[in-house]
Amino acid sequence: MTSGADAERGVHVAGAAPAAPAVKTLLLGMGNPILGDDAVGIRVAQLLNRRLGPVRGLEVREECCTGGLELLEVVEGFDRLIVLDSIKTEGGRPGHWYRFDGEALRETMHLNNVHDANFATAMELGRQMGGHLPAAADIHIFAVEISENLTFSDSLSPPVEAAVPEIVDEMYEEIVALLGVRPATEATVPPLCDTCR
Amino acid sequence: MTRKISIDPITRLEGHGKIEIFLDDAGAVEDCYMQIPELRGFERFVVGRPIEELPRIVTRICGVCPACHHMASAKAVDECFGGEVAPLAVKLRRMYYNAHFMHSHIAHFYALAAPDFVLGPDADPAVRNVLGVVGKVGLEIGGAVIASRGKAQEIQRIIGGRSTQDIWCIPGGVAKGLRPDELEQIKPMAADLYDFTQFSLQLFRDVVLANPTYLEIIANGPYTLDVHNMGLVDENNAVDFYDGQVRVVDFEGAEICRYEPREYADYVAEHVEPWSYLKFPYLKRRGWKGFVEGIDTPIYCATPLSRLNVADRMATPKAQEGFEEMFTTLGGHPSRMLLAQHWARLVEMVQNAEALRMYCDDPEITGDAYRVIPERVTGEGVAIVEAMRGTLTHHYTCDENAICTSANLIVGTTNNNAPIHMVTRKVAESLIEPGVEPDQGILNMIEMAFRAFDPCYSCATHSLPGQMPLRVTVHKGGRVTHDFRRGC
Repeated sequence: MTSGADAERGVHVAGAAPAAPAVKTLLLGMGNPILGDDAVGIRVAQLLNRRLGPVRGLEVREECCTGGLELLEVVEGFDRLIVLDSIKTEGGRPGHWYRFDGEALRETMHLNNVHDANFATAMELGRQMGGHLPAAADIHIFAVEISENLTFSDSLSPPVEAAVPEIVDEMYEEIVALLGVRPATEATVPPLCDTCR
Repeated sequence: MTRKISIDPITRLEGHGKIEIFLDDAGAVEDCYMQIPELRGFERFVVGRPIEELPRIVTRICGVCPACHHMASAKAVDECFGGEVAPLAVKLRRMYYNAHFMHSHIAHFYALAAPDFVLGPDADPAVRNVLGVVGKVGLEIGGAVIASRGKAQEIQRIIGGRSTQDIWCIPGGVAKGLRPDELEQIKPMAADLYDFTQFSLQLFRDVVLANPTYLEIIANGPYTLDVHNMGLVDENNAVDFYDGQVRVVDFEGAEICRYEPREYADYVAEHVEPWSYLKFPYLKRRGWKGFVEGIDTPIYCATPLSRLNVADRMATPKAQEGFEEMFTTLGGHPSRMLLAQHWARLVEMVQNAEALRMYCDDPEITGDAYRVIPERVTGEGVAIVEAMRGTLTHHYTCDENAICTSANLIVGTTNNNAPIHMVTRKVAESLIEPGVEPDQGILNMIEMAFRAFDPCYSCATHSLPGQMPLRVTVHKGGRVTHDFRRGC
């Protein structure tokens, strides 16, 4: 007898009934790796990818540097999108993080990127064109409050760097709940090599 | 410790751009200042790295035009190693670069410029975007926009191995050539892209030029400046995006100067104002005279319109037809009408598409000799290309081991910092008069002014919401009377 969870993990059991098609999910780490805290989405995506391990229906792109209309090509074909990104708010405390969905971006839909359509507009355009894109309610954004992202650096700022382990722990719980899976093992995540650090 | 904050942060975003308008007691504009944060520390970041790594690093400077920085950097690094580049590599780089230009111009025109003209500058901001454009002109056109942009992107990927964050140019050439089967993939896409440029020009004629109101805004609105123009030209004074000499022409059409890239520091200096993060380049030999218009001004623009203003012609035949049509309509060459930038981009797209087809027909394009191995280190390299939004300069020095010792960049938008400031003030002055209450419309009209320059501000950042929040604050009598926000 196989469990749905086993099927989700891709664990094969002889004589098992075929699993229902998995929801196709894309997890994106958004950011610029050489602009300081702008890289936090990439860093968290790298750590979460290794923590999650293989999950049926989940594709992880640890580093996504595109935006606007180019995101359509990245996101097309997925049912659900999880975005890990940075954010800077008035009075925000670096290292804190927020979760919201694509509906929250709707109010910005009419506000143009200086060169291109913004994220919400690009998604809506893709939907209107008949593309298979996640609905706004199926776009889940996890955004980390940062210190700044205007100075070239391949390091995170100290408060954001210090917060990363706890951010990963907390986001991991929310994402596995969102995905409706629990990986087969939760092995200790090996440390990142110096290239990825 | 709980770190997750459950409230919606979008409404509390920190603004990236700030415009401060100061009114006098009568309610007229007394002063206007723009504060836009710039990326910083790049020069410090690259010192100590092998110089040949810089073309791969600089693609991270701009999230929208990485290939521009990649090309400029590659050319500067070529110079650091003696300057010899395989002729086939130059053709391939040019082929790639034309595709890159198209992909960017398509996005800019349809996502940024078209909303103002297809829907009107007074349209509700909720619909004044690419979705509104598609709603008005049809889903089929929307699909064509996305498809065409995708084709330009795909051509880049086929030629250079990646569609973004290029790693393709190396000292003396490129890392990958073009196979015959790859060329056969590109040819139909290049043909489609040419057709799309003709469609786009016709759309502009039907929607913009046929509308007297829009023509009036372009020709007689406050969006004009009596400043000079800068751009790259080839030996025939034709528009060249990849190489050539820098030519500066005044707004009446007389050549002020022309120079080789390595001479840029003799012709361009940068002025600093205490109220701005930005530097303001100007023509060095004229000396800084303030933010002034006129024939003696040291201030210049470097934009798509500027490129066409400094050139005597386009480099390809159908683009030349577009060039002649544009300037005839605008009343002569050169033109001071800043909103004609959008038209200039469409004409440039035609040259991009014609050049792509030309390289597709070049029997040498699939050859093997796409690199020469450098044999010496000169220690210095300067290169200039035209980025979509203006003349882009990369200047590097390195030691005898080809380790970077310094880097200086003048990006496209930096050239335009002074004219952007000036036209913003000019638009504010024309719209805000004594007795006229400033409103959200001011924000729209001011945005039209600097959006025409397609400015590059912090574009390499990816923090939400993926655009530049803008705040316009109006001051009178020592207090804030209006505070308009967009995206923050």
